[in-house]
This record gives sequence, structure tokens and C-alpha cells, in this order.
Amino acid sequence: MPWELKTDRPIYTQLIEQIELKILSGLYPLGSRLPSVRDMAQEAAVNPNTMQKALAKLEEDGLIITHRTSGRSITEDAEMVKRLKNKLAQSQIRDFLERMQLLGFEQEELLATIEGMIKEMRK
Amino acid sequence: MSPILECHGLTKKFGSTTALSNINLQIERGQIIGLLGPNGSGKTTLLKLANELLTPTEGSIHIDGKKPGIETKKIVSYLPEKTYLNDWMRVQQIIDFFADFYDNFNPGKAYDMLKRLNIDPQDRLKTLSKGTKEKVQLILVMSREAELYLLDEPIGGVDPAARDYILETILSNYNENATMIISTHLIADIEKILDYVVFINHGQIVLTSTVDDIRDQKGKSVDALFREVFKC
Amino acid sequence: MLRKLIKYEFKATGRVFLPFFLSLLIFAVINKLISPADPEYWGFPAAISMVIYIMIMVGMFVMTTIIMLQRFYRNLLSDEGYLMFTLPTKTWKLIASKLVMSIFWIIASLAVAFLSILIIIYQKGVFMESWRLLTEGYRTIYEMIGASLYTITLEIIIGSLFTLVFGIVLVYASMAIGHLFNRHKILASFGAFIALNTLAQILFSLFCQITPGFAWPGHELYLQNMPNLITLIQVFFLYGILFTGLLSAAYFALTNYILSKKLNLE
Repeated sequence: MPWELKTDRPIYTQLIEQIELKILSGLYPLGSRLPSVRDMAQEAAVNPNTMQKALAKLEEDGLIITHRTSGRSITEDAEMVKRLKNKLAQSQIRDFLERMQLLGFEQEELLATIEGMIKEMRK
Repeated sequence: MSPILECHGLTKKFGSTTALSNINLQIERGQIIGLLGPNGSGKTTLLKLANELLTPTEGSIHIDGKKPGIETKKIVSYLPEKTYLNDWMRVQQIIDFFADFYDNFNPGKAYDMLKRLNIDPQDRLKTLSKGTKEKVQLILVMSREAELYLLDEPIGGVDPAARDYILETILSNYNENATMIISTHLIADIEKILDYVVFINHGQIVLTSTVDDIRDQKGKSVDALFREVFKC
Repeated sequence: MLRKLIKYEFKATGRVFLPFFLSLLIFAVINKLISPADPEYWGFPAAISMVIYIMIMVGMFVMTTIIMLQRFYRNLLSDEGYLMFTLPTKTWKLIASKLVMSIFWIIASLAVAFLSILIIIYQKGVFMESWRLLTEGYRTIYEMIGASLYTITLEIIIGSLFTLVFGIVLVYASMAIGHLFNRHKILASFGAFIALNTLAQILFSLFCQITPGFAWPGHELYLQNMPNLITLIQVFFLYGILFTGLLSAAYFALTNYILSKKLNLE
């Protein structure tokens, strides 16, 4: 998954989001070792200090653990990751629902449409 | 540690023209800084002052706490806008030249980068295209293990693919002991790799901020803010 | 640092001079081989070859002057200056390395020219004959003026060298002054050259006024007295050397000042 960074939002927050996504999608599996700050910064084509800040915040949140001698790794706490997944999903859904409300959808109508589309996707 | 670059009331006049006026700046180590401003804003003048290619009219400039001189030139690696390569040497000879005069020049690094860019060390400098000469110059500058890198318009006349390579090279050369000051008016490309930006116009500093603060507080990219601030 | 700079100066300039030197010597040999001793018997090829030889000779000296100017300008005052002035070395070494190489090449050109002439005029007995004349002349002069022969010869050598240095430093200073101007740099350099030269002459005549030996009353008497004439000449040379040395140092300092404090590359 390439790093997608928009130009009008702080890079630091976007990096946090992108790393969270990579954890959730399994690109950075639980307990796996992370590349060095420099390597990650180069991969994302961003300033290493900014990457450092993002990683520090994620560490604060507990998603990343720094080992004294062996660098950084993703947490092994599957529960925490699941909670993150749910939190992000809820935030996306909330945004979605608000937008749909603006479009004038009623809730039952919306649910029906969603079910229909999911059935289509399963085929 | 002391800031790597400090300016106090720095002013430079050429006759009746003032190129820089009362510049006060402190650059801490280990950062990548963008010196952003339109043409003629004083960016190049500031960089030349840091290299002793110009002397201040008033005020002072210090690198690692010292006035520009032999000791600072050892730790500063400068990429000017101009091509300063002579026309009689081969690429290999200019590398030997740098290795001879600069203790912290790393020829191995230079040859690696030349290979990556398919430049033959046996080529004569005068046969190289303008773009290739600029790449050679960049390679020479980045192969020095300096404490302060001053790059004046490093991506100016270069094609987009080379531009990416140059930005990659800048990032990979970054280390916590080195500081980079990149002067340019092509901001969109380099925004992401900057820690900090300094906007300069008409010889004066207009704004200093981290990139993320600008994006956070103004809700726009540095490039967009630049266009606003420096609207013609 | 200075040694390294001189090394690079040599590399940069040698590529031009060495071919010239070689061709001069080659043509001298060619001339020698195809021309009989007596010019009356020269055929067409001999004449052409001699013309070419002379052209190369003249070209060589013109080249020396041009290179001297061009190196200074191109390497220090144009785009290459961005490279040279950011080297971790003092400005005076940048100037000195060029001065040293200019002197070297001028002396080398003279030596090669002399050598080529020797090649051309070489005949079986010519060296013996010249050597005989030389030793005879030496003995005669020695009888006349004794050990002063050595001091005067030394003074002539040093004097010529100092004059050479002065000439070069004069050119460098003129170019440095020309650099100060935004427009019409070449004109300004020319003007500076004339001004500095005139200044030198004025200073020299002032210098002569105040040095003893020129202002001693009744010095016409000395002219009739040989030993004192010799002393006068020696003193004259000495003062001349001193003056040239001082003025060269002054003009060098001027060049150094301009290039360190007033540098303004485009």
C-alpha cells in the first residue's frame, strides 16, 4: 500500500492514520518489527522528524512498542487493535450517515440499499 | 549544542539596493528547512553570505558559532544555482579534486550515485548536458559528510523523474547531525520532506513555521499558502 | 593547501602549454634537418618550415599572456569561482597558486624558446666557439669589476624575477578592480591597469628622489671613478628590487582584499 498524503492536512496526522490503516489491514502484522524511522520516512518520502513524531504518538497510544535494543514493533495486543478497528469504522460510518442524511436518505431506505449492495458484491 | 546557523540583524546592501534587511534567524541542527521566496527575495544572497562569497554590510552570520571562514567551509557543503564545473576535467577528476580538498568527502558514495544515474566517470565535463552537470554537482555536494548543506534551487531545471531522485537523495543523506537548507520556489514537490519553512520576500523574513503547523492552522498546503502570501 | 592548488593549476594549464612546447621543439628540429646552414640555399619547404616555427614561437608567448589572464578570470571571477572560493583555504593562496604557475610558464617558455634556438643554430663548432667567447668575456669583466660581477649578476636575475612578478600582480590587481564594476568590467580592468601602472611610475620617481645615491651632491664626480660607479649600480639595483618587491606586495594585498571582502560573483 503506497503512502497517500494529501497536501492540505498536517503530514503528521496523516502518517498516524496511514500507519493505523496498515496495522489494521495486516500489512504490519501484530508483533512484527517495524523498519527504522529513516527507512519509513524514505518510503513515505517525508521528513524523518515528522515520521518520528507520528511514531511517538502511536507509541503513546500503545499501538507501537519500542524495545530498548531492538527497535520498534507493533503491539501484540489483538484486543487493542480490534478496538481501534471498531473506532475507525464507527467514525467512518458516522461520517457516512451524516452525509447520507444531507442527501435526504431515511434510515430504513438506507439500510435496504446497503443490504442490496452487499448481496450484489457477494455474487 | 549551538544552533548550526545564526543571523543577527544581518543586512546586505549592494550600493543603494538592499538585498537583505535585518535578518534574525536561528536554525537548529538536524532539520530540513525550506527557504522559500520568489526570485530576487534574497535567498541566494543569504546562502552566499553563509559561504563567505559575500560579506555582511551590517549585522552578523555565524555557522556553528563561528564567522564564515576556513573552519566553516570545511563543514558546509554548498550547491549553488550556477554550474561551477570547469570544462577540461573528466568526472573522475573532479571527484579526485573534491577528495583532495575536503577531508569529509566520500568518493565511494559519489561513484555509487553516478552509477545509479548512469553517468560515466570517464566522461568529460564539457560533453555533459546541462541537466547531467547539475546532477554531478548535486552528487559532489551530497557526497560530503558535512554538518550543513545549503542547496540553492536543487530541483530547478531538472525533469520530474530526476527531481524525485534528488529528493530521495536528500532524504537518504539526512542524518541527525546534519542540517539542510533548501532554497527554492518549487514548493509543492519538497513540502513533505521539510521540517520547517522560512518565507522570505524583499530581503526580509515574512514567516517561519513548521509545515504541519501551517497545514493545521491554515488548512492548506505550504505551496497554497505561499501562492497566497506572494501573490503578484 | 597551496601545494594542492598549484598542482591543479599545473594540470589545468599544462594541457595547453606542453603541446606548444613540443611543437616548437619539433619544428626547430625539422628546421634544422631540412635547412642547410646558409639561408641563401633555402628552398621552399625550408622557408615554410621557418615561418611556421616563428609563428609557433610568437603564438607561444601570446598564449602565455592569454592563459595568464584567462585562468585568473575564468577560475576566480566567473562561475568556477563558486567552487574555488568555497574551498577551505585562504584567498591569498588562490591568488598565489596562479601567480606561481604564471611565473613558471613564462620562464619555461623562455627556456624552451632558447632551447629551440640552440637546436636551430647548432653546428659542429658553435658550442665550443660560444663557450670560448663566454669565458673570455667573463674574464674581462672580472678584471674590470672583480667580485661585484657576482652580485650584479644575482641582482639582475632577482631583479628580472621581481619585475616579472610585478607585471603579473599588476594584471591581477587590474582584473580584481575591474570585477568591482557591475558593467563594463573589461573597460574598467583596462583603466585600472593604466592607473596602477601610472601610479607605479609616479611612486618610482618619488622613490628615486628620496634614495641616497641619486641625491648626493656632486655625484658627477663618481662617474669618473669606476669602483664607485659599480657600487652605485649595485645600490641602484638593490633599491629597484626593494621597490619592486614592496609594490608587488602592495598590489597583491590589494587583489587579496578585493577578492576576500568585495567579492560579488554573478
